[in-house]
Amino acid sequence: MANAFTRWFDERAPGLAPTYRKHMTEYYAPKNFNLWYYFGSLALLVLVNQILTGIFLTMNYDPSATGAFDSVQYIMRDVEWGWLIRYMHTTGASLFFVVVFLHMFRGLLYGSYKKPRELVWVLGMLIFLVLMAEAFMGYVLPWGNMSFWGAKVITSLFGTIPVIGKDLVEWIVGDYLPADATLNRFFALHVIALPLVLLLLVVLHLAALHEVGSNNPDGVDVKHGPKGNRWDALKPADAIPFHPYYTVKDLVGVGVFLIVAAFIIFFAPTFGGWFLEHDNAIPANNLVTPAQIKPVWYFTAFYAIVRMVPSFAGTAVWGVIAMFGSIALLFALPWIDAGKVKSVRYRGTGYKVALAVFVVSFLCLAIIGMDLTDEYLPRIFGSDIDLTTWDNVIGRIMTLAYFGFFVFLWLYTHLGWEKTKPVPERVTTHD
Amino acid sequence: MACKYPESLMANEVVDHGRRRFLTATTAVVGGVGVVAAAVPFIKSWEPSARAKAAGAPVTQSLKKIEAGQQLIVAWRSLPVFIVHRSPEQLAALPKQDPRLVDPKSNGSSAGQQPAYAQNETRSIKPEWLVMVGICTHLGCVPNYVGEMKPEPFDPNWQGGYYCPCHHSRYDMAGRVYQGVPAPMNMQIPPYHFVDENTVQIGVDPKGAA
Amino acid sequence: MTKRLISTILLSLGLLLGSASSWAEEGPELPAAGNNLRDQASLQRGAHLFFNYCVGCHSLKYLRYSRMAEDLHLSEQDVMQNLNFTGAKFDDPVVSHMPAELATKAFGKDPPDLSLEVSAKGADWVYGYLNAFYLDPKSPIGWNNTVLPNAAMPFPLWKLQGEQTAVMSKDGKQVEKLELSHPGELTPAQYQQATRDLVNFLDYASEPAALQRHAYGVWVVLFLVLFTFLAFLLKKEYWKDVH
Repeated sequence: MANAFTRWFDERAPGLAPTYRKHMTEYYAPKNFNLWYYFGSLALLVLVNQILTGIFLTMNYDPSATGAFDSVQYIMRDVEWGWLIRYMHTTGASLFFVVVFLHMFRGLLYGSYKKPRELVWVLGMLIFLVLMAEAFMGYVLPWGNMSFWGAKVITSLFGTIPVIGKDLVEWIVGDYLPADATLNRFFALHVIALPLVLLLLVVLHLAALHEVGSNNPDGVDVKHGPKGNRWDALKPADAIPFHPYYTVKDLVGVGVFLIVAAFIIFFAPTFGGWFLEHDNAIPANNLVTPAQIKPVWYFTAFYAIVRMVPSFAGTAVWGVIAMFGSIALLFALPWIDAGKVKSVRYRGTGYKVALAVFVVSFLCLAIIGMDLTDEYLPRIFGSDIDLTTWDNVIGRIMTLAYFGFFVFLWLYTHLGWEKTKPVPERVTTHD
Repeated sequence: MACKYPESLMANEVVDHGRRRFLTATTAVVGGVGVVAAAVPFIKSWEPSARAKAAGAPVTQSLKKIEAGQQLIVAWRSLPVFIVHRSPEQLAALPKQDPRLVDPKSNGSSAGQQPAYAQNETRSIKPEWLVMVGICTHLGCVPNYVGEMKPEPFDPNWQGGYYCPCHHSRYDMAGRVYQGVPAPMNMQIPPYHFVDENTVQIGVDPKGAA
Repeated sequence: MTKRLISTILLSLGLLLGSASSWAEEGPELPAAGNNLRDQASLQRGAHLFFNYCVGCHSLKYLRYSRMAEDLHLSEQDVMQNLNFTGAKFDDPVVSHMPAELATKAFGKDPPDLSLEVSAKGADWVYGYLNAFYLDPKSPIGWNNTVLPNAAMPFPLWKLQGEQTAVMSKDGKQVEKLELSHPGELTPAQYQQATRDLVNFLDYASEPAALQRHAYGVWVVLFLVLFTFLAFLLKKEYWKDVH
């Protein structure tokens, strides 16, 4: 019966079964993946969650300046289970970035961006960029006061561009301030245009990955190692079929992740104001800027860079350039880093230190962007310090450290300063 | 555990297929239950919302200003509800229509078209007051009220009733459908009751009749 | 590596949540409201306070009487006779009957809708606000507030709390503390409990789904723990193949 069914399919779509085999049962992945390797599949899970809950939210959301805020409360109160669907979406948005940041850091740890995976990395960075646009526009939709002022400030970034800036902002916003037209176009982009791009990029990201094969914590290319394992005499000895071994392993990761997500959704959906900001419970008001205006947590590091760069020559465009540069440099990472060794386990001490400094600078910038320095600095240095100065001094040092990472990495690897450890021929551990 | 030089071609150890099958099945069943449970909120979110239910709440209407022979249309759950004050002539004409109707006693094809307390010759609680959902049982248009008893182009012997502009279905003054038209059933009578002599509430059965 | 990562994540989460006081931070330290959404009796008392003292000016336009009755275990009759004074229908939202122009004339601005007040300001802020009114001869309405200086609202609960007066700092610029100069109908402890009830009700009103969230959440998490445990056993079983 099952056979007849498969045959029926194979005759009509001969490509289906081989595709399944290529990406699942006969996709061989290194057997030594560690904890860091859960976040790719988790990102896919969150993407599915966002699309599913997003579709159901659009069914009751009203994309108009007069109706948006009310319709969110309608979803929260009048639509059966609407609160759950919305909290799954809002929590999913934040967890998407948690998972993606960790996924990207994995790439830095084990050199997953290096040859032959440059394309996988660049496609991944494009996903990150689209995700940021998607998140920003989604954040505007509830049309609370933070939504409004977030839209105002972020669109104003484009206003710093000399000559065309002012006209460009009016074109993006479709009005003189974020208004009904802005909300409408952001809605269209958020629910259909960007998700389509995102899906396409994810497919390409995975296709590019499965072409070259996964990297691993040792940075050893299992394809170049010995052949033959218990499943296939011609496949790499250090690799195992993705299905069932990594599907069941990822299932454990999914379980743990869902426990964390469910805990947030059911017991702390605003996450103390970090996932859903308090000021967004106030309807959009173009006359009153919220006292504590700052982006959502996942943008704060990049946003802090804007603040840290002073304006000169009569324009504030430098901060914006620096912010976009901080992302653009990540795109170029495969070419900035010319080191031959992939995994941090066998790289020179310089790389280890630089990576640590880079992570610290990113976290510090994030904290500064969240305005938490007002709270932390007095605890450390006493309450009579000049907060603005300290904020700027630390922020600028961290901005320099962030960019310094790339400069150092280029010099370190291009000038042959790096002293690496010998890389083993075979993968060393698995759990 | 670390194994520096794994012996990969070892296929000779025993796999406990029973345990493996059992765990696969159990995890799949529990996971399946989870997926089904997770689907419930999404399916339920399509139920009428609290706002829709509030808008669909019973409607109370005073009858004081409706003269004999006149019709008033009120909205109940977004449906047009006809409230008609039937004149004695209109009432007298009702029994005479029986031979020309599809289901004059509303106990055949139209048995489900009214509450038990309105399953009678006049299809109403009080003979003079008709309360009816004004939706043609053919394809859902709203029939026109043609109350006067005079020859009409569609019926030279017209005794008052309803005429549907969409496909020319005709009903008498109790919403009973005539023979030879596309509509299959009498129009629907909603649950209603009289709060007092001059007030009707649509959407709630009379006390004691469920 | 694994342990270090987990401890790092937990630590940073703890730091974040610990500093999650991103409510409006200016003004004096706020006392903790200490309200409890699971305390039905407190919610009911809070509802009575709201409908006796607040609804004259403030709406809860996103909360329906019927929803409130269901969640607070109040009967339709009770709500319609004892709480609904505006003649609204049972399914209607709680809308104040004060005409907007009158309100603007009396207070200089519209009394805000309070449906999301606790979401926006936090329970501690509302609780602090309701305990921080004092007599101020310099204010045009005769009242002032240490939590929200120059608040437009005259103190509606003065009969309950009594009258507080401000003890100024030596330079006369700051309010050092408030003293009860004229006791009201309630003792200070009773008044604090009353405002805690009222804040509890407003907390509920800002997110009625919170009651459901807590009820379902426990079961969802327990179910996921079971699933994860099974998935873990399954993974271990399959990975016996991998050496």
